[in-house]
Amino acid sequence: MRRIERLINLIIALLETRLPLTADDIRTKIAGYDQPSFDAFRRAFERDKEALRAMGVPLVVKKIDPLDEHSDGYIIPKDRYYLPQLDLEPDELAALRIATEAVLGSGQEAASGWLKLSVDATAAPLEGPRVVWGADFDTDQPILGPLYEAQLERRPVRFTYLPASGDESVRTVEPYGLVNRRGHWYLVGRDVDRSAERSFRLSRVRGRVEALEGSYEIPACFDAESHLPQDAWEIGEEPVSAVLRFNSSMRWWIEQNMPALDTKEAPQGALDVTLTVANVDALVSWVLGFGSSVAILAPAAARDRVLQRLQPLLEGRS
Amino acid sequence: MTESPRGRLGKRLGRILVMLPYVIANPGVSVNELASRFGVKKRDLIEDLNLVFMCGLPGYGPGDLIEVAIDGDRVYVDMADYFKEPLRMTPAEALALYAGAAALATLPGMEQADALKRALAKLGQAIGADRPHAPAGIEIQMESGAPQHLEKLQRALTDGTRVKIEYFSATKGQLTERVVDPWGLIAALGHWYLVGWDHLQSDERMFRADRIKEVESTEEAAEVPADFDPDRYRGAFRGAGSTTLTLEISPSAARWFEDYYPVVSSSPLEDGWKRAELVSGGDRWAATLVMRLGPDVRSVTPESVMKEARSLAGDIAANYS
Repeated sequence: MRRIERLINLIIALLETRLPLTADDIRTKIAGYDQPSFDAFRRAFERDKEALRAMGVPLVVKKIDPLDEHSDGYIIPKDRYYLPQLDLEPDELAALRIATEAVLGSGQEAASGWLKLSVDATAAPLEGPRVVWGADFDTDQPILGPLYEAQLERRPVRFTYLPASGDESVRTVEPYGLVNRRGHWYLVGRDVDRSAERSFRLSRVRGRVEALEGSYEIPACFDAESHLPQDAWEIGEEPVSAVLRFNSSMRWWIEQNMPALDTKEAPQGALDVTLTVANVDALVSWVLGFGSSVAILAPAAARDRVLQRLQPLLEGRS
Repeated sequence: MTESPRGRLGKRLGRILVMLPYVIANPGVSVNELASRFGVKKRDLIEDLNLVFMCGLPGYGPGDLIEVAIDGDRVYVDMADYFKEPLRMTPAEALALYAGAAALATLPGMEQADALKRALAKLGQAIGADRPHAPAGIEIQMESGAPQHLEKLQRALTDGTRVKIEYFSATKGQLTERVVDPWGLIAALGHWYLVGWDHLQSDERMFRADRIKEVESTEEAAEVPADFDPDRYRGAFRGAGSTTLTLEISPSAARWFEDYYPVVSSSPLEDGWKRAELVSGGDRWAATLVMRLGPDVRSVTPESVMKEARSLAGDIAANYS
């Protein structure tokens, strides 16, 4: 008998049994487990358990005799195996189909998820319109699935994290939420060792994520937004007032992006904008991104910083 | 050996566990439909069905085995009530599907937006049905820019017509008028982008939707490559016409650099610096990047970038004299 048949038989038996089956039950009752020795059986069964769990089959271990440590029984709880009834209307299913087309990278995951949803729909369209959308959310990042699973099961996780500044360390976190902001994923949750809510950028997690035993509650008042990093120039020690001169060609952009700021007309259609800045380096870097269309008028320290950055290039000209 | 759910065995088993419910719900479905729906060859599909035929409940007597009948090209499955519903979605499947739907739902004027929002709500409940908070736990943030532009662009994409846009170029700090053949819309880095052929630059370009000031529709037909594939724009915006930029970055800057710029590859150097290769947004863009990095960058190629950076540095310095 091929392994895939054995796996199907195992799923069927563990789904249909009323009481958990012991290893002995499995060996004697389920087709495909007739290995010559108990050790060989055990190895085959361990591999099969792992394969099923990797596919998302909820294989649960239960003690059959509470007094006997070695009385493990196995069962697949029906309420955790089956996809809950979603009762999707045909137009909802069709819209989701289009969405699966749009997912870049994890298209296969999205598509196999959609196939599960469309089982009852005879007329569910397979072909969407011409593909003109794409959504890149980096959903094939390998630690995203395990983190989301831990969050759904309310299990703490442990991983090695390298912060933007500071040293690598091992963190234990209770996941509260996953946020994709500006194309990057952040885990927001409670850092157990620091006993505080923190955000972690997934690209800074090194290696694998380990789900731990235990459980936690997500506070009802939890607000992920307040724990996400702010714009770079808003992070810093002492906020100072800065004045920037935008030349006339930048006016439309300012109206779109900084409508609430304090502005003053300047010569030749230029506009002087006053804003509060907490990180001068970040401001300098941002302003340089606009080339010569924006200049810093104040503070003097920021002007000096601009010239410092340009110095190597200006020397190279002569 | 660990089995990956995307390995051959995992894939095949996964397919069987969703195909059986489909056949049970649609008795008499044709082999052709099944093959196309589940993306397999007819031969493999029939092999899957023949294999299932040997499986069933312990006892494995005639009343315990799954009954499979292939009558002409019609397929029937019986005695498998336990496979009437598919296996629930994995977290990875749910997340990918949810993220795609959430992104499309932010697209103004999308015809199916209403249906998509209803589906999203149901999907959200389902993936966290026995878990009270989910999926409040997933959040996709998108800044959509001027909604009327995205609506017009979508119409142009559907009609296959050329558009005239007024676009704000951030690195030049100015508005320019361009004629564009729209190819597609890509949601990435928190924004929607228009991808298409820019007649001004005679090149493939991406335009951030919130930097488009005006869109004017035209009657002219747009030229769209027959093999346009949005997947090509993943991650680093690897456009066909894109050029690369190579530079060396100091240890302190190397830490955050890869998070913010479209790095294709990077390798450590002996003195702790890193050599990075990235997709260039053009010499002007690369020059502003070199200036932003200041003392944290060295060995920039191509040389044309340094030429541009020196000239730009002179223009900027003039503002400060």
